[in-house]
Amino acid sequence: MTNKKRKLIPDEFIPEIRSRVITLDNQDYLLQNDTMYTFYERSMGELSPFFLGIKNEKKILGCKCSKCGLVRVPPMLTHCPDCEFAPTNLMEVGQVGRMNSTPPITYFATSLFLDKAPFGRGRVILEGADTALSVMLYTTTGILVPGLIKKGTEVKVIFRDERVGLISDIYCVPASELTPEQVAKKGLQESEINWAAPKEPKFPKPTENDLANFKQSVKEMQALAVKMSQSKRARRAIEGWKRNIAVKTKAGEFAMYIDNGDFKIEEKKLASPDFVMACEDPNTLLNGLMYKGSITDSVIMKRLWISKNLEFNTIFKLDRLARFLVMEQKEKKAR
Amino acid sequence: MSATPEVIKTIAWSGDTFFEQNIGWSASDSYAEVVLGYMDAYPGTLKPEITAQISALLSQQARTNPYAQRQFDQVTPEEVMNSRYIVYPFKELEICVYSEGAAALILAEEETAKAIAKNTGKPIVWITGVGEANEHSFAGKNQKDMSHIVSDYLGSHRAYDMAGIKDPTKSVQMVELHDAFIHQLEISMAEFGLVPYQTVDSLIEDGLMLPGGKYVVNPCGGLSYCGHAVGASNIMSAWSARNELTKRKLKTALIHGTGSTISQYTACAILEHE
Repeated sequence: MTNKKRKLIPDEFIPEIRSRVITLDNQDYLLQNDTMYTFYERSMGELSPFFLGIKNEKKILGCKCSKCGLVRVPPMLTHCPDCEFAPTNLMEVGQVGRMNSTPPITYFATSLFLDKAPFGRGRVILEGADTALSVMLYTTTGILVPGLIKKGTEVKVIFRDERVGLISDIYCVPASELTPEQVAKKGLQESEINWAAPKEPKFPKPTENDLANFKQSVKEMQALAVKMSQSKRARRAIEGWKRNIAVKTKAGEFAMYIDNGDFKIEEKKLASPDFVMACEDPNTLLNGLMYKGSITDSVIMKRLWISKNLEFNTIFKLDRLARFLVMEQKEKKAR
Repeated sequence: MSATPEVIKTIAWSGDTFFEQNIGWSASDSYAEVVLGYMDAYPGTLKPEITAQISALLSQQARTNPYAQRQFDQVTPEEVMNSRYIVYPFKELEICVYSEGAAALILAEEETAKAIAKNTGKPIVWITGVGEANEHSFAGKNQKDMSHIVSDYLGSHRAYDMAGIKDPTKSVQMVELHDAFIHQLEISMAEFGLVPYQTVDSLIEDGLMLPGGKYVVNPCGGLSYCGHAVGASNIMSAWSARNELTKRKLKTALIHGTGSTISQYTACAILEHE
């Protein structure tokens, strides 16, 4: 695992992500620990009913303009700017909706979302609403890939089991992946859904040709690994990172070792690897390391299977390793 | 030096704290929303082989810019196509490089500008038009149209109006624009009225921005290859446009900066060389 760096602010001083309610003038206000993890709480203010609705009652609120009738979700305005500031009223909206536009998918996330990637984030117009709510998007079938959720796709709001009153308490999945009862149910929670478990692919028996190809591929990867370990720039791609990876292919298994800049490949079966990669053809990985098509895309396109989604982070590093080696070679030539 | 996920986290603090930050907002996924919205409205545009060629072209243009932070990182269209997805639909080599840097301009009123020009022997480049615009940060009815960067349209056309430009396709010869993402460069060019929405790929297919084409676009290599030092980048673009106008003996350039969630804010200016 990664080399632990000493934190400037010790963990015990970092407040938990949590919330509490205070009542002022008969109105409940939700206080959250500040999103920037400073040591202060902040009030969700006029948005408190919306976040409390998600947290406690598993309902989604919008606001309806008393003049033009436009229903805005989330209820971001108490007065409508299009109607000379006529007051708006809170109202509940549906928990099924359609995508306002095709959502992007984040594979390479910010440091706060590494454990959540890959995820989609898009805007859904819920039943009864006129404006779109921004939500995270997942699929129950494994890794979210392009084309699965598009403009107009029907999606269902799912509530996390543990909720603190943040927009991250909810997310959406395609309605087509749920039963009609689940789609109809208000306040559907994530523990009520069947999530596909990662299943290692099975490969057919190898031919003589496959076996020869395997030997050749591993040899080429080994030679490349030596070059990478000698390249100052490439070493930077895997600085401070340590993983022992078992790679299973149709014609055999090998081990990949990443150790703080060193990269090594051995024809060996690992008993307790950090994670497993499986691809029918070892050239899928060889091409990636040769900078001929990314390993990330191989995972997305299902040519390469990984046992833990979180290890996308290691996959990115392998892609970088390949790119940095090529960059170093090019720069030497150009200068 | 901070690792990239840390850097993009810092930038992500600029997202909306109630509705965006907590669900993984990043600059890439925010721009990607607009790009995918455009592709919903104009299917078949922003083709991967076109964005790949634009990225490769910008990398070539950075080669002669001694201040470019990726001066020697020339890439081929094939390498761009093969690079990994960061945030779909963006690949690694279709994204600007977040960086640190500084840029400065001397702005002066007419008489002082003339005096500086006289003393330094350097020509004056006049700012003849400015324009800016802001859009809604929410989408849906009466909100932001996700298939367009309306702020780019309004910002550029307000600047044209002030500069007295009736038909930008006849007047604008150079563009130094905020290419945070290659796809967005194409959309911005369409919003500026320099290429039709439906045939935005003609920037490459008809050679509009290729060497010798109708428009010189991001001669410095853009934010993609010169570097995106947030805040300084658009000053850098203005610096480049000034230099290139005088060097290439051209008259009119459009400079552009955009930002905020779903690219909702834009500022443009028209530079004219005497």
